[in-house]
Amino acid sequence: MTRWGWLPLAAALLAYPWAVAGSDSAAFLQDMGALVLLAAISAAAWNILGGYAGQISVGHAMFFGAGAYMPLLVYQHWQMPPLLGVPLGIAVSLVVALVVGFPTFRLSGHYFSMATIAVAELVRIVVGNWDFLGAAIGLQGPARARGWYDLIFRSAVPYYYIFLGVLALLLLVAWQVQRSRLGYYLRAVRAGERAARSLGVPVRRYKLYALMLSAGFTSLAGALYALKTGFVDPDSGLGILVSVQMIIIAALGGAGTLLGPLLGAMILVPLQTATNTWLGGSGSGLTYIVYGGVIMLIARFEPGGLLELWHRQVTARLARPGEVRHAA
Amino acid sequence: MKRPIAFIATIAVTAALAVPVIASDTVKIGALYPLTGNSAPAGQAAKAAIELGIEILNAAHPELKGLPLAESAGLPNLGGAKIEVIHVDHQGDPSVGQQQTLRLITQEHVAALLGVYHSSVALTATAVAERYGVPFVIGDSVAANITQRGFKWTFRVTPIATDFAAAYTQFLKEMKATGKKVDSITVLNENTDYGTSVGGSIVEVAKKGGFDVQQIVYNAKSTDVSAQVLQLKEKKPDVAIFVGYTADEILYMKTLRDFDYMPTMIIGDDAGFSDPSFIPAVGDLAQGVLDRSAWAAGAPGSVTFAINEMYKARTGRDLDDTSGRWMQAFLVLADAINRAGSTDPARIQKALQETDLKPAQLMMGYRGVKFDASGQNILASTYLIQLQGKEYEAVWPEAHATAKLQWPMTGWK
Amino acid sequence: MILLQVVVGGLLLGALYALFSSGLTLIWGMMNFINFAHGEFVMLGMYAALLAAAWIGGGPVVFGLTAALGLFFLGVVVYFALIREVMRGPMLAQILSTFGLALLLRYAAFWVFSPNFVTLPHPALAGTISLAGILLSIPQLVAGLAAAVLTIGMHLALTRTAVGSQLLAVAEDRNAAMLMGIRPDRMQALAWGLAAASAGIAGALMAISFPFSPAVGETFALTAFVVVTLGGFGSVPGAMLAGLIVGLIQALSAYWFGPIYKDVVVYGLFVALLWLRPQGLLGTA
Repeated sequence: MTRWGWLPLAAALLAYPWAVAGSDSAAFLQDMGALVLLAAISAAAWNILGGYAGQISVGHAMFFGAGAYMPLLVYQHWQMPPLLGVPLGIAVSLVVALVVGFPTFRLSGHYFSMATIAVAELVRIVVGNWDFLGAAIGLQGPARARGWYDLIFRSAVPYYYIFLGVLALLLLVAWQVQRSRLGYYLRAVRAGERAARSLGVPVRRYKLYALMLSAGFTSLAGALYALKTGFVDPDSGLGILVSVQMIIIAALGGAGTLLGPLLGAMILVPLQTATNTWLGGSGSGLTYIVYGGVIMLIARFEPGGLLELWHRQVTARLARPGEVRHAA
Repeated sequence: MKRPIAFIATIAVTAALAVPVIASDTVKIGALYPLTGNSAPAGQAAKAAIELGIEILNAAHPELKGLPLAESAGLPNLGGAKIEVIHVDHQGDPSVGQQQTLRLITQEHVAALLGVYHSSVALTATAVAERYGVPFVIGDSVAANITQRGFKWTFRVTPIATDFAAAYTQFLKEMKATGKKVDSITVLNENTDYGTSVGGSIVEVAKKGGFDVQQIVYNAKSTDVSAQVLQLKEKKPDVAIFVGYTADEILYMKTLRDFDYMPTMIIGDDAGFSDPSFIPAVGDLAQGVLDRSAWAAGAPGSVTFAINEMYKARTGRDLDDTSGRWMQAFLVLADAINRAGSTDPARIQKALQETDLKPAQLMMGYRGVKFDASGQNILASTYLIQLQGKEYEAVWPEAHATAKLQWPMTGWK
Repeated sequence: MILLQVVVGGLLLGALYALFSSGLTLIWGMMNFINFAHGEFVMLGMYAALLAAAWIGGGPVVFGLTAALGLFFLGVVVYFALIREVMRGPMLAQILSTFGLALLLRYAAFWVFSPNFVTLPHPALAGTISLAGILLSIPQLVAGLAAAVLTIGMHLALTRTAVGSQLLAVAEDRNAAMLMGIRPDRMQALAWGLAAASAGIAGALMAISFPFSPAVGETFALTAFVVVTLGGFGSVPGAMLAGLIVGLIQALSAYWFGPIYKDVVVYGLFVALLWLRPQGLLGTA
């Protein structure tokens, strides 16, 4: 990506809701745009820990869930605007990140991944049996807007721009991280933890920073999901598929890159929607055969993610030196 | 109405959308089912039932006497217009349900919606329909709060958890009055939204009814249920009520036999006990178990019998209660559209509000269909059926019984 | 007496966990590879048993053999068509590819066999026996014991035969093995075949007593992850021990604390143990 290469992308994202407004399926396409951005936010948040630092968490659903539950919880119990629950959700997920981070960061590689799966499943099961948190039935937001502060809109366009704003903020933070000492340390950790430690990198402290940053933004994604959907239950907020979705999107686009998660979301979410819309009604399961097949093929032929393909094809053709990339 | 402009815009948009639909001589309805994922068996069976419903409505079926719209072809009040259903998979995901509801309304311009199975998806999908002002008829989703949010566009035909609980309690009281020993009840429910809401309601209502009630909650999709069965064996209740899905219920029947423990009576709450795989798998271990159902195929010559034969010809198996409730909801919706004489959502909504169907006009054993202000059918009710041989027979209430109740159950003996 | 009943039941189930996890631990230890489709292998083993019951008939031995052969073939195909390439990529590509594979297999079964639950036509094996007051269902007893024997057999085959040593040699040091004239590609394909076959047999054995549908794999995959991590990556005896422990903990905690807490206890102890002993029970650091 060249210095100003992101400008056309930003312009396209800003213009998208207007560009499709004339279409027959404007409302649906705008809604899908919002879902793409939401998926990009979660994946980009996961990417800080999983991509830059190479710590493959398969348990980020617990942070997403914390963010999704709190806004609806404050509404359900105290009729407060869900918006007030957002900072609460971030706070909870930071605490969870601290509690989980200390023990699990002793583990590396697959052990870390498995530990995060186990903790996330533990959280899902406990929440699923906890009446205060809605147990298996889940929590609902306000059915109708009581005022602007409930953030309930008929059109998806307001959500789209809110999500776009958050994504821009997150990418800005990630970009700063990439350039800062934190970013170099994290990449050193990914390249080899022992080597990084021997070079004097305070590995556990920096991994914890990355986790906190990642968890905070993941819970923000969860909160945005809850505000838009108006509902969360253990499966949709805390299920293992929530975590896997973040990984797949980041890996598909290119983990450890700035724009990989966005690219992954721009491909995967429309793919999911299209296969379901075109093939789902038949009930043959073809939706997932195609969807599963496509991600399998991408992993088989482009294991480094699609951004790598982009770099090879476009950047090489323009004969400009690309941004220095580190092998994942 | 807090936002009159939005309201007027809604009316204007829906009116604009309604015109081309009338011109095309078909009425589009969107149906959302779980066609993939863990609940796919139920969703696929429901889809087959809706497809049968479409055939019954669109072609003339003079043999189905008394069933509204069956005898004529199409919808008479709309000039014989045919019904077209767009089948959609919501994957059991509340967000996908929302997204597809939006698509059906804005892109397919459906006149009304039908769904849903998962209560979680019902909650989010009906909220979209409410914002756009399109009627949403619920065939099967039992969480009470779906109709407790003051929605004007959501209508639920099926009975809900509290209705089931009331039916069981009533039945057990009647049994007690005839001198049978029914004092202690144990409810075994799985812990997803279905089991939690139904199990919880039964415990609450039965306790008020003066029974000694205990509850065992377990994880759905167990690979081993012996702990629960051993607990049951220690509690030795007179009646055990099982609330869970297919795999678990089949496993329970096998494990009960393995541990040689049989309560005086087992009542299954639909779901697993009504699944077409239940009888082939464990039918000969489960002789005499009771099951909840508002569906009974009845005697040859009856409308329900004919419907069951048609369903069998399509799918190779009997219609089950869940799919029957979907199909009933579809028929209720079609009847309302016909009475509305239009595909205008607001007029369909009005017709739904005025629905007043008598038991003779229904395929399911409800006392009728009439919606209260919240959109819940206040005449929804259920039968108890009993596994006798290879078939379930209706045994309660007596007025609808096709066979005599056997008490106690005989299980594998 | 009831406690003993619970313990025996837990151990019999645990033996099955051990069997399908031992395959996973083999490729995990050998290639440092997470297979998210392992639960789907178990599921396909169940359907292999169903097909065998419908076309060939016979009992558990026939079902097990059919599943073993079918899944071994599938495992080898998956290795050459997919895994061999993906292995060279980053770890994320492993997750991506095998998760895609899992969906593909699950929904292929869904398409072919319908999403409905099925049970094997009985009586393949039926009845219960009473041993010292403990009631045991014969299908579960046979499945559990067969699983235990097969897992031990697998361990012996790996440690006592020439091919087994070659396999372990590749796991130990791929380059050194190559210098010794072992072709790692073949050995890794063999490992995938064995892993899938062991999952398949476990599936076939479980199919005798459990109802199943294309969606059952997910549960087994999570169990296998826990068992493999607990036992230590690559350790078949570790998987055996961990499988039995997980089965036992599930049974006991379901009985003592209530069925909804059994997975809470398993995951809780799992995390605690990982913290205390990150290399697993029998793994080496």
